[in-house]
Amino acid sequence: MRRTELSLILGGPQGSGLETAMWILTLSLARAGYGVIADREYYSNIVGRHSYIHMRVSSARRPRSLKLPVEVLVASDAETLFTHFNDIGDGGYLIYDTSIKAKQLSDVPSVEDVTRKRIMSQLSSLGVRGDTDSLISYLASSRSVLPIPIDSVKIFRALSERFKLNAKQASRFSSSILGSALTVVMGLDPEDLEYAVRRRFGARKDLLEQNMFVAQLVGEMVKDYRGIVKLEDPSMNAERIMVVTGNETVAMGKIIGGVRFQSYYPITPAADESIMLEKYEVLDSGKGPVGPILVLQAEDEIAAIASVIGASLTGARSSTATSGPGFDLMIEGIGWAGNNETPVVITYYQRGGPSTGLPTRGGQSDLFNALFSGHGEFARVVLASGDHKEALYDAAEAFNIAEKYQVPVIHLLDKFLANSIVTETLPDFSLVKLERGMRGAEGPGYKRFDLSSTISPRLPLGAKDTVMWYTGDEHDELGHISEDPENRARMYSKRIEKLKLINMEIPSSFKLTVHGHESPDYALVGWGFVKGVAIEAIEQLSSRGLRGMYVNLRLMWPFPTEEFTRLVRGLDPDKIIAVEHSYGVSIADLIAMNTGVRVGKKISKYTGRPIYLNELTEAVQSLLSGRTERAEVSLGA
Amino acid sequence: MPDRWSFKSTVWPDWCPGCGNYGILTALIRSLEELGVDPSKTVVVSGIGCSGKTPHFVNVNGVHTLHGRAIPFAMGIKLARPELTVVVHGGDGDLLGIGAGHFVALGRRNLDIVVILHNNGVYGLTKGQASPTLPLGSKTKGIPRPNLQAAVNPLMLALAAGYTFVARGYAFEGEHLKTLIKKAVEHKGSAIIDVLQPCVTFNDILTPEYYKARIYKLESDPGWDPVVRTPEEREAKLLRAVQKALEPWDKIPIGVLYADETQSTMEERLSERLKIYPALNPSNSPISGADGGPVISVDDFAKAFSDYIVEVKKTQGRFNLKG
Ligand SMILES: Cc1ncc(C[n+]2csc(CCOP(=O)(O)OP(=O)(O)O)c2C)c(N)n1
Ligand code: SF4
Repeated sequence: MRRTELSLILGGPQGSGLETAMWILTLSLARAGYGVIADREYYSNIVGRHSYIHMRVSSARRPRSLKLPVEVLVASDAETLFTHFNDIGDGGYLIYDTSIKAKQLSDVPSVEDVTRKRIMSQLSSLGVRGDTDSLISYLASSRSVLPIPIDSVKIFRALSERFKLNAKQASRFSSSILGSALTVVMGLDPEDLEYAVRRRFGARKDLLEQNMFVAQLVGEMVKDYRGIVKLEDPSMNAERIMVVTGNETVAMGKIIGGVRFQSYYPITPAADESIMLEKYEVLDSGKGPVGPILVLQAEDEIAAIASVIGASLTGARSSTATSGPGFDLMIEGIGWAGNNETPVVITYYQRGGPSTGLPTRGGQSDLFNALFSGHGEFARVVLASGDHKEALYDAAEAFNIAEKYQVPVIHLLDKFLANSIVTETLPDFSLVKLERGMRGAEGPGYKRFDLSSTISPRLPLGAKDTVMWYTGDEHDELGHISEDPENRARMYSKRIEKLKLINMEIPSSFKLTVHGHESPDYALVGWGFVKGVAIEAIEQLSSRGLRGMYVNLRLMWPFPTEEFTRLVRGLDPDKIIAVEHSYGVSIADLIAMNTGVRVGKKISKYTGRPIYLNELTEAVQSLLSGRTERAEVSLGA
Repeated sequence: MPDRWSFKSTVWPDWCPGCGNYGILTALIRSLEELGVDPSKTVVVSGIGCSGKTPHFVNVNGVHTLHGRAIPFAMGIKLARPELTVVVHGGDGDLLGIGAGHFVALGRRNLDIVVILHNNGVYGLTKGQASPTLPLGSKTKGIPRPNLQAAVNPLMLALAAGYTFVARGYAFEGEHLKTLIKKAVEHKGSAIIDVLQPCVTFNDILTPEYYKARIYKLESDPGWDPVVRTPEEREAKLLRAVQKALEPWDKIPIGVLYADETQSTMEERLSERLKIYPALNPSNSPISGADGGPVISVDDFAKAFSDYIVEVKKTQGRFNLKG
């Protein structure tokens, strides 16, 4: 059978090289021209707990969502099999390491008690005993799953002999052994694998040789299955493809957008962005060095935002990156920036809250925290990105908005986007323009908060022959403290009325994007990582005769009231469905608050795992056909 | 700037009559005058409290920030534009209570910033609660019961944190304080001056009379030499500074306790790693080209991020134009 797409899960213990396997696999597939998305799920743990890669590969598109069940499950340990046996579809393939044979669920120490109980009851309801052997034979007999064993011990032994590796060194190959098996069953050209290994390990000739040796042995071991899940030849035509995570595209966007100062305090899933910026602190251009980007690891998030504001006062494009707990600590600083009309960019990667919540899992439950954080009223802009490419452009655009309007800009992303890898075309540089906003005239008499225009002329600290003052208190045009009621009212309203200007000047095409049918029977509404899955869901439903539209909100604040109202005018509120990775589906409330439009239906997921294509299409169908207002989806381990 | 620039702003200082802050303000203004700094290249950064208002009374750039956060604001300013002279003003509550973490972090960085600690033993602007420098058991008039928390020694903390210039001054020893501020500004690296500042409204223990009877100047000892000129001298001079910082409060030394010229500053460490930093820094490095586009081209991008870019193998497949 020729396929255009394939979904798979590759699982094993954290620290066993899964991440490397994911990269090598993705790079090989990208090399061959396929579109890939791969999400990495992991516990807040460094070594030993269950981690997995959920991947979707396509020959016809660059997929932006995941789905269950998958066609192939790859288990390097018993926990993977126990955790994911339900994620594999009838007639699928189970590639497993033979070392998992004869393992009892009760003997796997890394499985949480609640999880163990839940799996046990699932197994017993299916009449399966709690060990790997009975589970594998159940899958084979009742679900027509084809088991493909890989004897990695044999491969370790051969590796050790040939390259004089000790047991520990050899065991590091456990994930790549299974990754190799995948490339064989997918019928990938070994050259593509070699290319990927070379890319991943660079000049390390020994690693290349060892990996290729592993691939050859695995190839022989599973030669009967070569190409059993082969995809059609790719039909996309880019010569160069980026293979990137969301963290990485944001860092790239910031670099293109001219970031010059970034300060951060380590937190998952934001820290990788700052690490990447530090790695690229100076770039080469044809005309000489570009930069520097000064990256400061601060003592806490409070210092991170404060130093970012300080740097911005000197005219440097400045930003920070954090997630919920860190953002909470930054709020006082953001208020100061708002009161002092200081451009700063806060890249806010949402994860599962409240408190430290699910530190390594995703969510979209911080929308209102971004919109309404801080005491007092002040203008801020909140952007949200729906996919990797949007995240890149938005990271650059956030600086333009911040500087042009002299406001803090909060750029909302989520863990799903931050940590998933996709294949994506290179950015189009002609779409990026840098706008720095109004500059003042240097010299004595300069007034930082000049009231004669909504946007006061800005000058950096250190401007020639110029002095200026800033204060967190209410201030006069010079920046000195003032409690005069008339001054208060003028300053206050000037600051807030910028929002009107921003709403007027930002193009509608940026504020929200519309996908699918123009005069639809129903509309999905969402933001952030919902975009990919929603677009693919309306496509699928359209082939089932349901004409849908997806409204992807990108400018969250100031809310694009007019544009949104125009779009959904004429639609029955019960045909508008808001989708969000949260319990409250806050986007529906935000819409109601700004437009008076009642969103009749909601789809919610708050397990910390992304919404999958199949569960979304089912939920949409059931909401449209029934009277229920709310659907909760919860697939995924 | 005009030839004769007044370093005193036109804003009326609204401190209580007799407050020690006046002495600090005067010493600051006179030191800036005598140093002949360019007001547009000088920034006074403050926290919150009575002391936090200082920038408004000085005619150089002023940034009045948040309670406890003056140091990180100052850090961002200094790192992004190293040519600026940056002086931080904060209360003892500000720098040693809510901002203690930042106070310590600055020492580790040895970034070229001067911190002037207005040490009055109380939280002035919130009406006299005990600050982290108020001795254990003290009952000042602003608090209903004797203080249950012991005092932190700012000089010891600064020495432990790595400040390379550590001094103590007294608000009403104007000439002496002025000299300390000048030395601190001229010092390369993180400098702290713990200024004893009578709060005449709320602290009825640490009063001007109290200090008058106890203060003596370190410089009155002709053999006192706090300057570390070679790394070998460091340990002995640090120990002597610690001894001075620990002297019991019946005799209070003021003056420079420690001045280490041998430690690298954060700017130097950065310049070593980032060769372009002294010439190109975050505040002056160009970010866009003539056309308003990014300074890097798509080719620069592809070269810089080649690790992330895959050249797709020519496949036999059909091509469409979806890109
Ligand atoms: C986060 C925060 N908490 C509390 C306050 C209230 N507050 C204003 S001034 C002040 C005390 C300042 O005391 P100190 O730092 O010793 O300075 P002083 O007024 O004595 O100069 C406090 C706690 C605040 N502004 N911000
Ligand atoms: S309360 Fe104390 S510190 Fe504040 S102005 Fe009055 S005397 Fe000075």
